[in-house]
Amino acid sequence: MIKLSISLLLTVSGVLLVVLFLFTIYILVQRKREIRFAEVRDTFLQNSAQHWYNYLINDEIFSVVLVPRGRSQVAAIETIFSSYLKSISNEKVEHKIKEFSNVYLKKFYEKDLSSKRWSIRMNALYRIADFRIEALLDTCQQFEKTKISEEEYFQLLKIYSVFQPELFIEKIEESSVSYSESEYRRLFALLEDDVFIRLFEDFNSWTTKIQFAAIDTAAVKRNMQYIDQLKKLLTHEMPEIKIRALKGLYEIGVIDEIDPYVPFVTSDMWEIRLMVAKIFQHVPLNYTYAYLEQLLQDENWWVRSQAAKTIVEKREGIAKLQQFLESSNDPYAIEMAQETIVRKRGSK
Amino acid sequence: MNNLIITEDIMQEHEVKGYFEILRESVIRSRLTMTAVFFKVANSSQGTNIDPNQVNHQISAFLKSKIRKTDLLFQLADGMHWGIFFLQSSEVEVKAFLKRIFAILTQEREYQQIELKASVTEIRNNSVNFETLLDKNKHKLADDEQPTWSVEQVTDYRVQPTEQVKVSIIEQNEIFRKVLETTLENLDIPHYTLDVSTYEDGYSFLQSDSYKTGHVHLVVMNDILPRKNGLEILHILREMPNEKKFIIYMMSERNSESATLNAYEGGVDEYIVKPFNLRVLEAKIKQTFARFWL
Repeated sequence: MIKLSISLLLTVSGVLLVVLFLFTIYILVQRKREIRFAEVRDTFLQNSAQHWYNYLINDEIFSVVLVPRGRSQVAAIETIFSSYLKSISNEKVEHKIKEFSNVYLKKFYEKDLSSKRWSIRMNALYRIADFRIEALLDTCQQFEKTKISEEEYFQLLKIYSVFQPELFIEKIEESSVSYSESEYRRLFALLEDDVFIRLFEDFNSWTTKIQFAAIDTAAVKRNMQYIDQLKKLLTHEMPEIKIRALKGLYEIGVIDEIDPYVPFVTSDMWEIRLMVAKIFQHVPLNYTYAYLEQLLQDENWWVRSQAAKTIVEKREGIAKLQQFLESSNDPYAIEMAQETIVRKRGSK
Repeated sequence: MNNLIITEDIMQEHEVKGYFEILRESVIRSRLTMTAVFFKVANSSQGTNIDPNQVNHQISAFLKSKIRKTDLLFQLADGMHWGIFFLQSSEVEVKAFLKRIFAILTQEREYQQIELKASVTEIRNNSVNFETLLDKNKHKLADDEQPTWSVEQVTDYRVQPTEQVKVSIIEQNEIFRKVLETTLENLDIPHYTLDVSTYEDGYSFLQSDSYKTGHVHLVVMNDILPRKNGLEILHILREMPNEKKFIIYMMSERNSESATLNAYEGGVDEYIVKPFNLRVLEAKIKQTFARFWL
């Protein structure tokens, strides 16, 4: 049995009590600091919100009240700027936020980038991109040379895509990190149109994830500028590229000629036939009816269903389907046409 | 004193008064402008050898043939004036009508003995009574020196009454909610005053009961909201018996075809994708209210 003297036990418990006491004091101080931080932030938010509105929206002159004094006021400004940028689209507002951030927030984020805490560095990288703090581009490039995480590198790519698209394309080409499709989409969404379109110039040199992301981003951007690029991909050897290009063209919704799409009506892949049936929604029925009738008799349920939907949404669609019912012998196509007519009439 | 020449086949002054009072009130209720035109035979056609009785008949028949089924033609008790109430028509349309019929009267031989002048009153409020309207227009046409085919104007009743509109902003983000509130409070829409309230979630809006009043109610809300989202509120408002009084603007971060279609099919008046331009929102709201009155 271990023998412990009472004095030793008392000493140990005394030390533990002191440690506990110090730890409690530390927690209380930290809590107090947090509360103080939140108070200052909220007060600044409350007092300056109207000034910000007047400066950003009403074009009133800049007031020194808006300049942050300390980290808590920066946090308040972050909240204000993020709310404006998320909800309001206005070049003037964006420009004012950019100008202000480059002058008054730069030093805060510069310091944050050298923080030991990952979350603080990430926040700084997000804000640099969101508020367009171009003055920190060199600092960012220096930051890249330090040991950074994958997430930080991804944010850096976002920053490059905004400030230095050339560098962004270079980095994407040489990047050892492979991102997911959705991550590439997030990167490409920020690119200016003239830079983004360059992804299509040497399309086959990219990895499939980049290729897919580029096509999907073109679809989301819904810019008519990309129609020709997507049409070129319709002859691509990879079916997935063809399907995505067709989807992109459908999303953009401007079909200037139907000839490039006609061969897909007899494609071996039902997904391609389905996309053609969808694309024909954007073309007058008298140009497409013959093909849609063919697709209405397709072996695949999805294709038949889409063809019927495309027909019925047109003004003379119901009449065409009824005409089809009278002349067709295909029981599946007849069933689909009947169902679609009933559904359409029910929704009227 | 002139001999009274009354044409029997059109309505007479005493018969029209009751109709006028109903029409005047419906101007306010339906927000549809009414315009009254009064005609008088111009001085130069009086005192000639032409039978005034025949001219009177001809004028009545001519005017009757030119009006729409919704217009009300009548002859005044003095037999020298005719009136037409043009429902759902502004002064601009009525002036175009006058230009057209005056051109026919001056160009076609069969009407060469008719010479008229007119007075136009656009009515957009209910502060006018029938007798005053007649007096003012008769007074306008009383000057014998007025040229033939001239068109006078009574402008006393053209200002529509100021209407109170309730505005509810339902947005979770406090800063943007305040931005919208300030923007809409400062929005100047002629003849409307906006009574703006803000809510941070759908439930507090529904609890407020402010939407149960009879006022025109502009609701600017997000599609995604805590405690009852925007689409649920849309459904509740559109199920109400007086749902037409709601003008619903839905804000969303989703720019997809299906989300937009879904919102319009649910009954929104405008679907606005965030981020959007505040000036464009203001313009849309102004245009919405401008369409209220003809």
